[in-house]
Amino acid sequence: MTDETIDLTNCDREPIHIPSLIQPHGVLLVLKDPTLEILQVSRNTQEFLVRQPEELLGNPLSCLFNAMQMKLIHKCLAEDFESINPLNLSIKRLNKLIYFDGILHRLDPIIILELEPKQAKGQISFFNFYQEVRGTITRIQKAPTLLEMCQVVVTEVRRITGFERVMVYQFDREGAGSVIAEDTNQETPYLDLHYPPSDIPKQARQLYTLNWLRLIPDASYQPLTLIPANNPVTNQPLDLSLSVLRSVSPIHLEYLQNMGVTASMSISLMHEKKLWGLIACHHSSPKYVSYNIRTVCEFIGQVMSVELANKEAIQDIDYKNQLKSLQTQFVEELSQAEYFLDGMVQLKSQLLNLASATGAVICSGSQWIRVGKTPSQEEVHALLDWIKPHLYHNLFETRSLMKNYPAAESYKAIASGVLALEISKVHHNYILWFRPEIIQTVNWGGNPNKPVEVLSNGSLRLSPRKSFALWQQTVQGCALPWKPCEVEAITELRSLVVGVVLRQADKLASMNFELQRSNEELDSFAYVASHDLKEPLRGIHNYANFLMEDYADVLNDDGIAKLQTLVRLTQRMEDLINSLLHFSRLGRAELIRQPVNLNELVQQVINTLTIARPQSEVEFRIPQPLQIIQCDRAQINELFSNLISNAIKYNDKPQKWVEIGFIEGNGESKVASNSVTFYVRDNGIGILQEHLDKIFQIFRRLHGRDEFGGGTGVGLTIARKIAERHGGRIWVESTPTIGSTFYFTVSVEANR
Amino acid sequence: MTQISASTLQETPLLLIVEDSNEDFEALQRFLGRSSVAIATYRCVNGEQALAFLYRTGSYIERQNSPRPRLIVLDLNLPGTDGREVLRRIKQDDNLKMIPVVVFTTSNNPKDIEVCYQYGVNSYIVKPINFAQLKRDIQMLVEYWFEVTTLPDLPD
Repeated sequence: MTDETIDLTNCDREPIHIPSLIQPHGVLLVLKDPTLEILQVSRNTQEFLVRQPEELLGNPLSCLFNAMQMKLIHKCLAEDFESINPLNLSIKRLNKLIYFDGILHRLDPIIILELEPKQAKGQISFFNFYQEVRGTITRIQKAPTLLEMCQVVVTEVRRITGFERVMVYQFDREGAGSVIAEDTNQETPYLDLHYPPSDIPKQARQLYTLNWLRLIPDASYQPLTLIPANNPVTNQPLDLSLSVLRSVSPIHLEYLQNMGVTASMSISLMHEKKLWGLIACHHSSPKYVSYNIRTVCEFIGQVMSVELANKEAIQDIDYKNQLKSLQTQFVEELSQAEYFLDGMVQLKSQLLNLASATGAVICSGSQWIRVGKTPSQEEVHALLDWIKPHLYHNLFETRSLMKNYPAAESYKAIASGVLALEISKVHHNYILWFRPEIIQTVNWGGNPNKPVEVLSNGSLRLSPRKSFALWQQTVQGCALPWKPCEVEAITELRSLVVGVVLRQADKLASMNFELQRSNEELDSFAYVASHDLKEPLRGIHNYANFLMEDYADVLNDDGIAKLQTLVRLTQRMEDLINSLLHFSRLGRAELIRQPVNLNELVQQVINTLTIARPQSEVEFRIPQPLQIIQCDRAQINELFSNLISNAIKYNDKPQKWVEIGFIEGNGESKVASNSVTFYVRDNGIGILQEHLDKIFQIFRRLHGRDEFGGGTGVGLTIARKIAERHGGRIWVESTPTIGSTFYFTVSVEANR
Repeated sequence: MTQISASTLQETPLLLIVEDSNEDFEALQRFLGRSSVAIATYRCVNGEQALAFLYRTGSYIERQNSPRPRLIVLDLNLPGTDGREVLRRIKQDDNLKMIPVVVFTTSNNPKDIEVCYQYGVNSYIVKPINFAQLKRDIQMLVEYWFEVTTLPDLPD
């Protein structure tokens, strides 16, 4: 046995347009263009034309028809066949005229003429034709809905043709068909029955689009061969795609027989150049329908095809209007929001209503917002990755996600239906809508899953379905389908949202540009300001000194003391200006990250500080060696310098000590697990609880200016800034008179 | 104001000071006057004037009015053509670039320091606020450039 799955789609390979066989209810003649020499005939010429094939082959067509009829044929060939077919033709047989409907079509470099004998009745004049269809067309157009129109059509076609059963058969997107309207005198209704896509093979669908009407007057016919079998001009089997007598596939005939159908006729229904459905007619006994009546039916089918678009437009008109107003409201509100995502969040319920969904996820950059019932964030993440390559025109749509994406099985209850919209690939903006599983019962005309028959010898045989009895299936993992108008509304939404997103991105870009410019301005401002402040300050300082130098003899001690105070104040003023400048630069200067051995760095800091204050006896404790971290060496140096010098300064104990160490990230509840916490501990004067937060504020001091060695009050503010720039934070724990511990973290993640 | 030292036969060296602040100039003058080296000074108050003096244009067209300085002390933030531009012009001129230039400024902006050395400044000094330090800096400046170093002979 082969690995190949065998079902009726194998029929897709049957070359049904070149069967080299015709149905026996007419004669087929193949003529040379333009001489009209007879090249090929069907075997039944004797029966209809009273001439043996040999008598015809090689002879001109004029051996059959008189001059007037030949003129008619030539005229037809010069014009558009469709408006002239059928031709009224006749030949003499035993002194009696036999009338035919002659149907001509050209197939370069040959012409095919098919002759169907006219029935005594069923002669339809143009006037009759007009009367016949006028009322029908009006009723088709007036039908308020698609289904009502279909009902009008089946009733009218049955009235005109007299078939026992007339149905409108509609294909869904997967190619499966269902009966949506029926008029019959038979007991078993076929209404609402479904048929799998394999019931109509691909190339049959192709022929349905070429040839709008097919008739099989008697499914038990014996097909007739052509003489000669291959076309003498092309030396190939004759292409019978456009032939009305073309013999149908034996599998199709078997299918009809299994169904109990002897005569059948089908009319194609086309919508937007695709096969939308069929008007299918069945009869349990042989039934011939004249070419004229067929033309009426074909015309009805064409009118109905045109009307499909109108009916579809009318369908759900209220719902469509509702969607439209929702859409307008949505975009209006969204365009007022500062950012795309903020706007979307505000519009939670509208977002769901817009697609009649029960859940939605908005994705913007790395941010995800879930509304209503959705799969988990991880599941949606994986789903979106899977969807991205499946997007078509920025859209992905399914009513049964697990069919294509098995991972969705676990959340089919909330997300069997998915509609995904890509708003911007660049900004990573997506919206996904979800619909829950709806367990449905589908009525099939027979079990659709068993098309292969096992023969008694064990071999497999492809066969059409045998049973058309009601076969019910419970369909799982499917949501209600996304209506075309819903998909259309979402597609329109995209272009509207793209406008909003782009506008916001533009705004953000220009804001960033402004910010950058104002930062640069601020930077130069800080220097200019410091220069312009310092210059007069230096003047004051120098002139006070000049006074002291030049007029020492006329100034008393009090005057000198006042001048000295003036000098001291100018110096503090300069410290403040320098600190402010330093602090303002700290926030903007680029961090130069490199691996820094903190052990060495802290040792250097201690050495520098001890050189600066050789008189203060301090014991430095480093309980375990510090590690190497990625950081800006200069800034971390300053941070440790500030903390350690504070620890030395604010200490009135006779035995001073400072401890520098670290705690692993998760050892401290205030710290995220991905960071390291360093600390600087002292046995100094400590800080009152109520002051713990204040000490990090700029220029905020807790002690007199000259106590504890003085300072500008900016050191801890700078320390906080450095910690923050390294993705960490700084805080203090302290007990007055016992000592303080300053902690700071450096984010490991920010290190990378 | 300046005197030629009896022990040397050399001319009194000329120091060009480009400084817009009268107070800063007075302070400079005060400490220069206390140095052991006799130095003649000439002051320009802005960049245009300094360039005119060096290129002998405008009111400096007479050569004797604008002798070549042995050293230039240059403030950076000047009205009009600022010190950075003056420095650039001096150091791009084949005749003038031999004259040492000391930038003496309030600015400790790393960008300024970098730019000045890029242009070829010979020394960059940030004006201190501290009186004693200012005195010391100016004394060292004079001693270094006029006693320690050997300055080039300038073609007139």
